[in-house]
This record gives sequence, C-alpha cells and structure tokens, in this order.
Amino acid sequence: MADVEVGVATEVPEPLELVRLCVDEVVIVKLRGDRELKGRLHAYDSHLNLVLGDVEETIYIVDDEDEDVESVRTIKKQSEMLFVRGDSVVLVSPTR
Amino acid sequence: MSFFGFDTTLPRGAGHSNRAPGFGQTHDPFAGLSAAGGDEDVIDFEDTYDGLGDQLDETDDAFNDDTFGGEPASQQSIGKDFDFSGQTSQIANTLREEEMLYRARQPPPQRAPAQQATKPARSGYESYTDPNYIPQLEARADIWGLKPKNQTQSQSRQQENQSPAPAAGRAPAPAKKMLSLDEVEAMIRAQSMGQSQPTPPVQHSQIPEMPSQMQPQSHVQPFHQAPYSQGPFPGMPGPPGMVGPPGMAGPPGMAGPPGISGPQGMPGLPGAFSGPPHILQRPQQQAAPRGYGPRQPQQVHAELPGHSVQGSPMPQPTAILQRQRPPTDSTNQQRRHTPQPQVPVHHAPSQPRQILQNPNRLSGHGQPVMQAGQRGSAGGHGHNRGPSLPGMVVTHPEQLLHLTEEQRAAFLEEDAKRAKRNHKIALLARDNGLMTPQDKNFITRIQLQQLMAASGNVEGQGSEAALAEDFYYQVFSQIRGAPRQTPHQPASQFAQTYLFQTSSRYGAGRRHGRGGDNHMQRMEQQVQRAVEAAKARPKGKQLVFEGTLGKIAFSNTKTPRPLLNVTRSETVDKLKAHAKKSSAMDRKATLRNIEAVYLTLMTMEDHERLIPPPVREGSDPEAIQQHMEWRTKMEELHAQLWQDIKIMEPINPQSLTPHPFIAMLAHAKGKKAVPRIFRHIDDTERLTVLTMIVVNLDKLSVIANGIATPEEPLSPSVREEIELFTHTVMPPLFAHISESQLNMIIGLLGLVLSHTHPQIVARTKIGMNLLTMFLSRAELLKQSAPEMDVTEWEKWTESYNRLFDAIEPALPYLFPNTANDTDDRHIWGFLAAMGVHASPEQQQRLVLGVKDRVMETVTMSKTLPTDLAAPRLANVNLFMRAIGLDVELLG
Repeated sequence: MADVEVGVATEVPEPLELVRLCVDEVVIVKLRGDRELKGRLHAYDSHLNLVLGDVEETIYIVDDEDEDVESVRTIKKQSEMLFVRGDSVVLVSPTR
Repeated sequence: MSFFGFDTTLPRGAGHSNRAPGFGQTHDPFAGLSAAGGDEDVIDFEDTYDGLGDQLDETDDAFNDDTFGGEPASQQSIGKDFDFSGQTSQIANTLREEEMLYRARQPPPQRAPAQQATKPARSGYESYTDPNYIPQLEARADIWGLKPKNQTQSQSRQQENQSPAPAAGRAPAPAKKMLSLDEVEAMIRAQSMGQSQPTPPVQHSQIPEMPSQMQPQSHVQPFHQAPYSQGPFPGMPGPPGMVGPPGMAGPPGMAGPPGISGPQGMPGLPGAFSGPPHILQRPQQQAAPRGYGPRQPQQVHAELPGHSVQGSPMPQPTAILQRQRPPTDSTNQQRRHTPQPQVPVHHAPSQPRQILQNPNRLSGHGQPVMQAGQRGSAGGHGHNRGPSLPGMVVTHPEQLLHLTEEQRAAFLEEDAKRAKRNHKIALLARDNGLMTPQDKNFITRIQLQQLMAASGNVEGQGSEAALAEDFYYQVFSQIRGAPRQTPHQPASQFAQTYLFQTSSRYGAGRRHGRGGDNHMQRMEQQVQRAVEAAKARPKGKQLVFEGTLGKIAFSNTKTPRPLLNVTRSETVDKLKAHAKKSSAMDRKATLRNIEAVYLTLMTMEDHERLIPPPVREGSDPEAIQQHMEWRTKMEELHAQLWQDIKIMEPINPQSLTPHPFIAMLAHAKGKKAVPRIFRHIDDTERLTVLTMIVVNLDKLSVIANGIATPEEPLSPSVREEIELFTHTVMPPLFAHISESQLNMIIGLLGLVLSHTHPQIVARTKIGMNLLTMFLSRAELLKQSAPEMDVTEWEKWTESYNRLFDAIEPALPYLFPNTANDTDDRHIWGFLAAMGVHASPEQQQRLVLGVKDRVMETVTMSKTLPTDLAAPRLANVNLFMRAIGLDVELLG
C-alpha cells in the first residue's frame, strides 16, 4: 500500500517516465543514420530499446551529385511491428 | 701566360721583377715555384735516392693485413681524406653562398668622405655628385676578396702587363711578381667589359690641377672616337699599342663564377677605389655586352690617377695623359659653364658620352630602359629630349672656343637647361627602379595571395603559398638566419636563388626574360585559382554535414553569419502555438493521469491474484486476518483508482479544456482503461462514469471529430479512434444501460438534450449508438414491463418528443456518405429505434426526412447483384419494418 502511494506520488520523474507517458501513443523516433520512425510505442526499456507498431520509417538521403543543388531524397518503409535497438535512438518525441 | 703562373718563357727569376721596387710587396709563393719549375735545376732522382728501400725487411709482409686491414688496398677502400681539393669542390657552391652571406651581413660601408673633392665654388648642382646610392653598390668592392690596396697594386701591374706601349713613357709600374689567377681574371674582365669608367668625383680634384696634361688628349681623340662610333665589337681587342691577350678581351665574364660574372661585370676596377664606389657600375654592365671593347684599355688608364691618389705614391703622368676622355661627371659638366678655359677644352669632346653616362641618370637608379634610350640618343645627336641647338654638335672643346659669343651663350644656356632638367628628373626619379619589374610582380603575387586567403581559399597551396605569404621574412631568415649545420647541407633552393639574385640585382636584374614570364604565368595561375576558389565556395549560406544536428554557416563581409536564424512565424501560427502549448500541458497531465490509472489498475489486478483462499466457517483466524487485510487493501486501491480517474473533478462548463476524465478518453489507452476500470467499480460509480460521458458527449473527441460529410469523410485516425471507442468504452456502457431502469434512461436522455447538441451527437456514430441504446432499452422496458408507472412513460414520451424535435432537422444529414456505402446499418438501426417510439404523425415526418435516402438505396439496390443488394435492402427494411412498412411495398 505504502509503496503504491510512493509510486504514484513521485512527482519528480525519471527521464524515462516521460517516455512512459508516450506508451501506446504515436511517437517520432529519430535514429542514427538519418532515419526517423513514426509509430505507436508499445514498449520500451532503460536502454531505450523500443517496440513500435504500425511504423513508418523514413530514410533521408542527401544527393550531392551537383554541388550547387543539394536535394534530400527520402525513402519510406512501412512496418507492422518493429524492434528498435536502443543504441541507435537519438530522440523520442510525441507527435503533435 | 699560363695558369698557375708557370711562365716558362721568362728567364728564371723574372717573376721577381728587378725593376719594381719592393714596396708593399708580399712574399710570392709562386715566385719560388716558378723558380723550382725551371729547367736548369732538375734534380736527378738517382742522385737523391739513398737506397734505404733496399734495406727493408719484407719477410713479414704476411702480417700487413693484420695491421692495415684484411683486404688488399683498392680504389674504394682507400680513404679520401687527402683529397682536399675534391672535398672542397664538393662544397664549392656552399662556399660561394657563404661568401654571399658574409657580404650580405656586412654593414654598409661608410660613405667615403668627400674631402678630396675640392669642387669649384660655382657648382650649383652638387646633388648630382651626391652618391647617395653608393652604399648599395659598394657591396662589390671586395668581391675578389682582395684588399683595395692590393687591388690597386695589381691593377698597376695589369697596366704594365697589358699595355706596355703607354707604359713606356711613364715610370716603371710596380709589378714585381706573376699575376695570380684572380688578378688575371679581373684584368680580363676589366678589359672585356670595362667601358668608359667615369672617374668618381673624388678624382675631379686633380683635374684642374693638370690642365696641361689634358692637352694631348686632342691628339688621341680621333682614335677613341672612331671605335666608339663603330658600334658593338665584343671581341675586338684593344687599340693598337695596347698589348694584351686578344682572345681574352672578348665577352665579359668568360672566367669566374657564373653567378657573379656577367651582371657584375668588372668588379675589380671599381673595387680598386676605396673612396666613393663607382656610381656607373650599372650602366657599364648594361652597356658592356654591346661591345665597347676598344675603349676598355683607355678605361683602365683613366682610372689610374685614382689609384695613384689612394694607393700608389707616385702619380703616373703618362696614364693621365691617356685619359683623353676626362671624367664624365656632372661636376665636370657644370664646370663647362665656368669661364675656366681648360674645362671646356677637355669636356667638349666627350659630350655624347656624358649624356650617355650621366651618373645621375644612370647610376644607382639605373633603369635599363632609360639607359637604352639614352644610349640610342647618344649614338645619334647626343640627346633626344629638350630643345637642342640644331646642327650644333659640339664634339670638340675647341669648337666651343671658336663659337661666337651668342652661340656659346645659347649653347651654355641650352646645356644649363638640360642639366636643370636632368636634375629635376633625377629628383623625381630618385626612387625609380628600386623595384624591378620582377619585384613588382612579386608584390602583386603576394597581394593576390592575400586576396585569396581573405576570400577563403579552400585548396591548400603548400609551401609556395607560405613562401609568398611572408616572402620578405623568408628571405631575411634565409640570409641572416642561423648558419647551416654542415657545409654539405645545401642551402635551400629558394635561398640559393634569392641570394644570388640580391647580389646581382644591381646588375642585370634577376633572371631576364624567363623570370618575368614565369612571374606572369604564376600571377595568371593565381588569379585563376582565386576565381576557382570563389566558384568552389558553396553557394548557400550554410552547410549541413551528414550526421550532424547543426548547420555550419558561412560568412563573409557582405553577408555576415547570422547568429540567430529564426523564421518569423505568422501571427496566427503564434496564437495556434500558444493554444497548442496549453493543450500540450493538459495533454501531458492527462497522460500522467492515465499512467496513474494504469499503475493503480495493475496494482489492483496484481492484488486480485493474491486473494487468500475464501474464508469458510471454521477456518483459522490467521486466514481470516489475511482475508481482511487483503480486502482492506483492495478497498484502498479502489479508492485510489476512483481518485485517479478524476471522475469527481468538478465540471466546469465554461472551461475550454475538457474534463480530465473526458480528456483521458481522448487517448487510446484511456479508452482501453475504461473496461478495466468498470470491472473494479460498483454500479453507482459506473452510473457516475456513464453520466459523465453523457454530459460531455459532444466534448468527446470521437464525437467532436466524428461528424462526417460526403465531402469530408473521416480521417483514418479518427475512424480508428471511433472503432476503438466502440469496442472498448461502449460495451461497458451498453452493459450498464441495459440494466438501467427507465427513470435512469429518461434522466440520461434528458442530460443529452440539456447539456449537448443533439443534432451533433446524432450525426456521429458513437452518439447515434448511444441514443439507439437509450431508445432500445426504453422499448425493451416498455415491452417487458408494460405495467410500469404511467407517469414515467409520460416523462419518457416527453423526452422522446424533445429528442425527435431536436433531431428532425438533421434527419437528411444523418447519412454521412452516399447510398453506395454499406456502413450505414447503425443509422438505419437508429431510425428504426426512433420509429418504434414515434407516433404515426412522427413516423410520417420521419419518413419524409429520410425518404430520399430510402428511395435512393432501393433504386440502387435494383442495379446491384442480389448478393450485394440484399444487405442494403435489409438495412432499409430495418427501419421500414419499425414503422410498419417494407421495401417490397416501395418496389
């Protein structure tokens, strides 16, 4: 009982508590290598390993074949469920 | 003569001339050598051999290897320690460089005092004689490493050696020994290159003192004029009577170090003067290749007085007689204006050359171009600028005497003008030629380099760029810098080049032609590089590297780098952002609430599993105690949960933000939490939840965003949300409603009518389903308990009438899409529920409201295959049968 109250009353959350708020929400995850994920966060852990559902992966590719015109190409992939290893996660952000 | 001075033609001891007095004579090693090399005192080897070699014991030669090494002596194994000349020749360049270095480090010599120059008081152009450039030229004085005094002596010996004929009339020259190689070379160079060496001002003091000596010059004068007008004769030997090696009188610099010889010309002769250095060195160097060979011997003689003044105690009158071309100096030029009779006499003949060799024009500042022009003019009319007396070329001093007074005055005036003009030009052009064109090119290149560096040149240019960056420092450090470590380490390429260039720059400038082209090429290259660098610079203001979060901004003078790069947003966006921020705060709070709910829910569900075995009668008190504790905790958790769902927060109708509980339902996990919450709460609390939802029905996101029109169908996310709500929230609500009594239904319906907009609610799937639930429950209650209180039914009918009146205007808009869609079953169901309760008059209005849709659907069903038409017709029939009709009737 007491520990429950303490758990609920903890007003100074750990950083991951903020991630916890995003569970089951659609989040944007920025990864190394110019990749972004947008999907529903199903689970996470302390390493920020993530399980995402209904993920749309966006890969940004900078085409600098011509020095003057730098165009950014994007490749999009859809995944129903995705496990993301935490060491590639740069940031996790809620949508909107 | 031969190298090394082994002159076999002379009798033994001739190298040590008896005629020469021994003043200042140093021991001559060559004299002894030449004596030893004589052919009379050959020593026979046999006479000197003492036969000691025969006494050697050679029996123990076997141990020679132990002593001197295991291998027989070979060319390679023998050391070369003895090869001093070879070693020295290896570092010959180094030695030469060191010599230059030494000279460069020498402080500039003191300007010679002008005490000897007892100039005429009338001289108005003293500045002409001011040798302010002399220190620079002095550097060549000791180029042969000889003391000026010795040089003077050697010069005297040269005189004797080369020109016996003129020497016949003078005292014996003090040449007592063989010439050294250096001396010979200097003499040769003097002979080949020396041309009309104007005597320095110091010597002019002598001139007035010996006017009589000048007289003979008139006899010699034609002899000198002739070769002068003949133009270039490089290899031409001296005039007759001058005995000298003809082959050696040729081009200049045929002997001696190549780096020094050519441009420096005749260093030995000027070096002979310890007084003011020769001011005309450069013009001579320029003119020398053009071949004034015939005059060179004269030149040698002309300098003799100077030598005698300083070095030689005995003046040589004959030598002075030789100088039919008197000092061609402006001092003398001025002297011409003086009434002294002898001055014009010995100046007039050399006037063309005076112009050519005007020291103020040519020396020090000497510009090749200027010289060339003057030389050309000298060959012609004497000078080519300024008004000259037409046809009056004074070639002989006596001519001037024969002129009329007017002519003479005019001539003198003309001459004065010219002198004045020269003076002005000299003043203006004092610093002319300090920089050679190559120097200017260097400066230009440095400036270009800086320009490129300032404009952000991207491509590195290596050491060359560094060199051009601080060119002068490089030069300075190379020349004045630390001494080299070993003589074998050559000075850097650059140091070598520039060292010799600086030494020779007062001569021919550095590297004619090719150097200039080279600089122009490099300049062009640099301009090209600058342009390329400017092109290569990224056009944009910033550069984004892969993998970085930031951007690198470029800046230049025109567009400084922006420290802040904020795009100004529209005012509307600002307001939106503000509203969004507040909602974001609420959103986070809502998410926290949801998490708290889940935490409590999980704890409760976890606690449920720990339920102790059910308590029976006869069980031990401990079990009962356990059970009691468990129950207590469960109640606490229940209270906690009730608090967590914020259902009891006061409702603020004016608040822009929805009630916390309703806000939770906007999130998917909030919706999912509802069925789990319903499991743990009692009926009263469920009714509270239901009431809360009904009261805020039109604030639910699924209803506020759930109105679809044919033009604007629902977005997938909203549709998904509605689907989720239907599957999570509605079943517990439906379960609760299906157990509710009529009065509760009436109350809820009243809440919908009073707190919400029924038309909006009715146009959404969730709201419609909810209303359908109410109507169905009421109909069920009516059918199951017809004996119910009449007053309640009246209340219900009243509520229904209000609902019908509120919804009737929206009847045509209930269908969100065209008849082609099949997802309208809930609408037909709602209409059926409405029709069940409706009075006949209300049914008629109901039919009128949806008649179009009915007919449309029926008509379309006929065009469709049976299997597709059947469900549509069934849906329509749902409503039609509710009001006692059938689609079959319409057909």
